Amino acid sequence: MAFALLCLAPIFVMLTRVGAADLESLGSERTLALLGRTLKLGLHSTIIAVLIGAPFGFLLARTDVPGASLMRPLGIVPLVLPPLFLAITWTAMVELRGPYATAIVLGVNTFPLVALFTAKAAARIDARREEAALLVGGLRSVLRMELPLLLPGVLTGAALSFAFTVNDWSVPDYISSVGPKFNVYADEIFANWQLEAATGKAVVTALPLVLVTLAALLPALGLRRRGALATLDGDFRRPAKLQLGVWRWPAFAFCLAIVLFTVAGPVARLAYEAGGGSRGFTVGAFKESMATTLEFEREFLANSLIWSAVAASIAVPLALIIAHAIERIRGARLLEPIVLLPIAVPAILFGIGTINLWNHDLTAQLYDGNGMILLLYLGRFLAFPVLVLSGAVAALDPRLEEAAELAGAGPLRRLRAIVAPPLRPSMVGGWVLVFVFAMRELDAAVLVPAANHTVIFKAYNRIHFARDDSVAALCLLILFFLVLPGLLWSLFAREKLEVLP
Amino acid sequence: MPIPPPFRLLSACLVLLVGSVTTGCGGDDADVVIYCALDQVHSEPLIRRFEERTGLKVRAEYDIEAHKTVGLVRRIREEQNRPRCDVFWNNEIAHTVALANDGLLMSYDSPSAADIPETFRDPERRWTGFAARARVLILNTDLIKDREAPDSMWDLLQAEWKGQVGMARPLTGTTLTHVTALYDIIGEERTREYLQGVKDNEVHLTSGNATLMRQVREGRMHWGWTDTDDYWVAKSDGFPVDVVYPDSGPDGIGTLFIPNTVCVLANAPHPDAAKQLVDYILSAEVEEHLAKSRSAQIPLHTSLEDMPHPLDLKQIKPMDVDYQQVGAAINARHAELKEFFLD
Repeated sequence: MAFALLCLAPIFVMLTRVGAADLESLGSERTLALLGRTLKLGLHSTIIAVLIGAPFGFLLARTDVPGASLMRPLGIVPLVLPPLFLAITWTAMVELRGPYATAIVLGVNTFPLVALFTAKAAARIDARREEAALLVGGLRSVLRMELPLLLPGVLTGAALSFAFTVNDWSVPDYISSVGPKFNVYADEIFANWQLEAATGKAVVTALPLVLVTLAALLPALGLRRRGALATLDGDFRRPAKLQLGVWRWPAFAFCLAIVLFTVAGPVARLAYEAGGGSRGFTVGAFKESMATTLEFEREFLANSLIWSAVAASIAVPLALIIAHAIERIRGARLLEPIVLLPIAVPAILFGIGTINLWNHDLTAQLYDGNGMILLLYLGRFLAFPVLVLSGAVAALDPRLEEAAELAGAGPLRRLRAIVAPPLRPSMVGGWVLVFVFAMRELDAAVLVPAANHTVIFKAYNRIHFARDDSVAALCLLILFFLVLPGLLWSLFAREKLEVLP
Repeated sequence: MPIPPPFRLLSACLVLLVGSVTTGCGGDDADVVIYCALDQVHSEPLIRRFEERTGLKVRAEYDIEAHKTVGLVRRIREEQNRPRCDVFWNNEIAHTVALANDGLLMSYDSPSAADIPETFRDPERRWTGFAARARVLILNTDLIKDREAPDSMWDLLQAEWKGQVGMARPLTGTTLTHVTALYDIIGEERTREYLQGVKDNEVHLTSGNATLMRQVREGRMHWGWTDTDDYWVAKSDGFPVDVVYPDSGPDGIGTLFIPNTVCVLANAPHPDAAKQLVDYILSAEVEEHLAKSRSAQIPLHTSLEDMPHPLDLKQIKPMDVDYQQVGAAINARHAELKEFFLD
């Protein structure tokens, strides 16, 4: 019920606005060409994400590459950055133009998805299989044996990368600001929201991309199920680090280059701008702009942190109940694809649906207050912890719950005492996902009152008129708080964070 | 009976949710609600000043540049069955005219607007224009150097500038309004000829006017169309840029002004306070403040004609444009431009 109300109702409210005449706008030669170009862009950026992410994830998860423990969390940073940040900082550093540059930026933005899934698949290969392969034919034999086992993970990450990429319009638009214009289908969707009073047509325009996104996400769900996900029943033996020998340093150079190129470069550029940029960088100016920005934007940072944290804290227990129901109630698994809908629809459609759903006299207090932004965050992002936790529940041995039931434990007690404890890393991972996506949410949130008081709103507001140094300083602060929860967990928790479905 | 732990957890979540609903900003405690598309950095201090003077509590909600006003206009349309907004302060005019034409605005003849020229006022007083920006050419002076600077919109199509100049893709914001106005001013055929020329001459199409300004100031383009506020930001930040008010000669069509507009919404929840706020926003004092800000807005009050201004306003020949016509045509033109540019 909670999921239906928060996540699905805004979408269905919008679907009720579609009339038969609106469907005529589908399928013109021009829009089909846009869709074709978008699919091609998605494919290219996914290939780049795989080429970077698969070796990066495998090397850092399973081999003796120096500095792996540091580079592995750093490699996730591009994913938490809004892709437009990457595009702006990169084009400021190098001449990046045209469709291939667009594919590179989007591929780099999403390669952590491939890396994370690859790493997870690699970490679940049983040590005994690996030892046997090593005995038979050395490292080459191990890699040949592991490739098919890694493939579902790589493909899952690739499918997610594709889904993220085809929905982005800001990066193609920005990168093709100089040189031949490169339009994508998401441009068409945004353009139709611009002026058309006919909402139905705008909703219909979004449908092909929603279908493409679902077509990418559904196989990802299937792959995860088939997946190479070992159960946690105690029979599994964790594999040892593979010794790369002479390949250790080239592998290190590869991973370091990825981190420098995708994380250190953009962050250094932001720091350079914050310290004065082309007008003359000084450490003093950098410190001053950071301090001033923190002082001015403290309230908005606090709002974003609190609302994102509250949304994440509400989302996780709700997600646990929903995920457990999906896995354990007969037939409920068929409903899992529906969970993907809020991720697949354009943000602006979801935001307008939320207005239509909640702007009534009965819910006036909710609509006008801060609760609205929580409802929006939950509606948009509850799907992430549901997917993470349903994957984790699937990997749990159900016999433990059956034993507890025989011993007289009720469903809620079983959930608390049997299911939740081993899922703690996944629960925290789900919390982090909601927190991060809520912190950077703009397109839907801008439609509700409380969004005016968030720090990402302020950042985008300042891009137009504020000085570049203060905008860069604010971006750095946002980036710091985006990675902070994951960083704290990595530093102080003994368990690994599970952020994958 | 003790509450089972999972319920405790859920209860805590609900308490958090309810707590956040009933506290904090928003709600019906505001005396007047304004949706403001002008950049927050400029409009917020003025709104706070109004609060201090009148004691009225204003809830202000802003838009972001990237949304090109779409967020707030959409909200007004979607909320029309239960309006939450009293006053809409738009940073352009076309969407406001479209809202008026759809019956979403009420008439209010503000006494503060008495000396604003009729060109910038709706005959039915559903909206009033003030504090304008002008559509201008921004030049990179380091790149132009000894070359002859452009002085007309048609220079964009000259072969000598092929691949060196730019404009925002005319599907949003002031560039859309500008092109829509051109259909009226120079006629449909010549406008289409101009747009075809834009494509043929490999004019760079940026994601917005601010992006274009950044490309020019950093030397990636020689010059291009933008708004006076973007030009002035680059100029005051010390970049090597200059401005041209195109087609200002005796036979030229002049420079398009795009005013801010303010209006009261039909069925506004707080109509009296809304009118007070509109009176303040339309005052000469607000225009003067905006003229002196980093956005260097151009005052429209005749009483401010002689005020010192960072731009050389005497150089500008205003384009004679019918804003009602532009607002009425913008949806149809947008559809046509989308077919042409979104390919």
